[in-house]
Amino acid sequence: MRHTAKSLAGIAMAATLAVGTVACGDSSSTEPGAGAGQSPQIGIDLPRADSDFWNSYAKYVPQFADEYDINLMSPTNSQNDVAKLVANVQAMVSQGAKAIVMAPQDTGAIASTLTTLESKKIPVVSVDTRPDKGKVFMVVRADNRAYGQKACEFLGEKLGGKGKVIEFQGSLSSINGRDRSEAFAECMKTKFPGITIFEEPTEWEGPKAAAALQTRLAQHPDIKGIYMQAGGVFLAPTLQVLKAKNLLVPPTDPKHIFVVSNDGIPQEFEAIRKGEIDATVSQPADLYAKWALYYAKAAAEGKTFQPGPTDHNSTIIDVGNGLEDQIAAPLVTKENVDDQALWGNQIGK
Amino acid sequence: MTGTQTIAKPPAPTGGRPGLGGRIPLARLRDLALVPAILLLVVVGAIIDPVFLSSANITNVLQQQTELALLVLAEAIILIAGKFDLSLESTIGLAPALALALVIPAASNGLGTELPAGLAIPICLLVGVAIGAFNGLLILRFKLSAFIVTLGMLIVLRGLQIGITGGQNLFDIPPSVLYLGNAVWFGVPASIWISGTLFVVGIAALGFFRHGRAVYAIGGNTDAARAAGIRTDRVVWIILMVGGLLAALAGLLMTGRLGSVAAAQGDGMIFTVFAAAVIGGISLDGGKGTLFGALCGVIVLGLINNILTLAGVSAQWIQAIYGAIILIALILARLTSGKAQD
Repeated sequence: MRHTAKSLAGIAMAATLAVGTVACGDSSSTEPGAGAGQSPQIGIDLPRADSDFWNSYAKYVPQFADEYDINLMSPTNSQNDVAKLVANVQAMVSQGAKAIVMAPQDTGAIASTLTTLESKKIPVVSVDTRPDKGKVFMVVRADNRAYGQKACEFLGEKLGGKGKVIEFQGSLSSINGRDRSEAFAECMKTKFPGITIFEEPTEWEGPKAAAALQTRLAQHPDIKGIYMQAGGVFLAPTLQVLKAKNLLVPPTDPKHIFVVSNDGIPQEFEAIRKGEIDATVSQPADLYAKWALYYAKAAAEGKTFQPGPTDHNSTIIDVGNGLEDQIAAPLVTKENVDDQALWGNQIGK
Repeated sequence: MTGTQTIAKPPAPTGGRPGLGGRIPLARLRDLALVPAILLLVVVGAIIDPVFLSSANITNVLQQQTELALLVLAEAIILIAGKFDLSLESTIGLAPALALALVIPAASNGLGTELPAGLAIPICLLVGVAIGAFNGLLILRFKLSAFIVTLGMLIVLRGLQIGITGGQNLFDIPPSVLYLGNAVWFGVPASIWISGTLFVVGIAALGFFRHGRAVYAIGGNTDAARAAGIRTDRVVWIILMVGGLLAALAGLLMTGRLGSVAAAQGDGMIFTVFAAAVIGGISLDGGKGTLFGALCGVIVLGLINNILTLAGVSAQWIQAIYGAIILIALILARLTSGKAQD
């Protein structure tokens, strides 16, 4: 039944999207004004519309497109569905896209589309995820292993190398969730063997994390640390559970539970300022948009890049089916939470 | 289908005649079919970890299931009446999201109307009723298939929520909305009291009151029910509105418990709702099953989840084991009740 719902939804949405892209395509040819007709068109697909992070990314896209003077096509949205992504890409190609920016959430199923695009000589920039197979021009992605690593080091130090930690894992079918889980587990094992980890599968769902936390706290009232792999979905449920248990106390209180998050949304910064959580790794939504468009434009103009350090504090590595620019993702704590360079401090202003 | 028979078979005892009469004890037995499964789960849970039986853990399990319980209550009544409502899973997100968007400032992703915060709960419940009424309009007046109508509504309502909130999670929740999902009355979370009370009301209404019993009659055989003088359309319409209302209330409880309205709140939940209802003995064909059974189904699912967490089952295997245990619970229910399931 769920399946029917999904596929029917897919048909309905594909239809609306098709109508939408056609309509927008008409208007965009007049909108950007002078010179737009000359520079190569760049298509972009947004992966989903229901997460704070991706909505921020979507807001940065037109901004940087203006800055680089890019002839951007109307962004499409694939609603976290690879079938819709494929359809959107086909539509963009037939509308004359010279380079495509996408963020395939299913990193395996996009392979054949990438091969098709390669045969048509349309370069692809993949944001946030690295396709398992198929040629990409550049992957723009934060080093997700570094997320798990940084979270582990922060918690390990705060706990003095011993105690119990609960970890809300994302979906193990996504590369980002896997990378964070593996790096966190590895680092804990080698650097802080005295710490016990409870790994809770959540499929990126807040209610599941809340239930797991309640249960674990009943089982082990001496849990001292929490690592959540996505602040956007886990922050509010976690704080709500801790509040109900009277465990939302300042870091100076011995009852305090140290919380490290990933994402860097404004609500996390607010919680850090209040002392409710202790740190987060800021996933750079602005830099994703900026460098994705930069590389897309460069690709359409025929430029190439080599592995090695870049001028923007990151490193390009060769990942076999293309290059990957590993964007720096800073750890945010009480000390640097007011840094205006963080994207979480820029939205809603 | 066995229409007239179903009408003749009330879900609860009607008179003082002691029960070798066949039908009534069987109905009762079916009611209790899941009790052995629940007992088995309790024993297994206690063996895996003694914490399982602590009152804190049991309270947690019940509280985590309250929202699901309300959706199952709504769905069970609608299924008994022979209809479907898939859109409940979107109502649980849209109703609180719309109510909050009207109340909170635009800076927190609201719509900018900034109505008084006290209106949030009434608006939320009203949205639920309105969705149920609209479903009823399409199903009963325009004679469209309930399955397709509510499937369409599921998509539309989820889309509305994403459109209204711009796909953002709503974090800035007024205290009045947080209260129900958060408060503790007499040492037990308020949401447990609310769900428990509503189930008692539902069981009493469907078991002992004329309008409640009419629901079984309609689900068993609509034409016969109409011939017997029941205003079938009106009863079904009211049931759909009650369903929407319960889903909106569940949305409030979930919002209070989790401290935010996620853009995907309730997404995919209808699957679990149907699982709980069917495990609890509700027939998808209408006219059969009891609310007590449905409640047992909810409790079984909650206990399984809790035990899997306590046991620390690895992430890769948890789904397979979860599904397998549900099947075992079904088989156990079949063996103890001795009745074919449908």
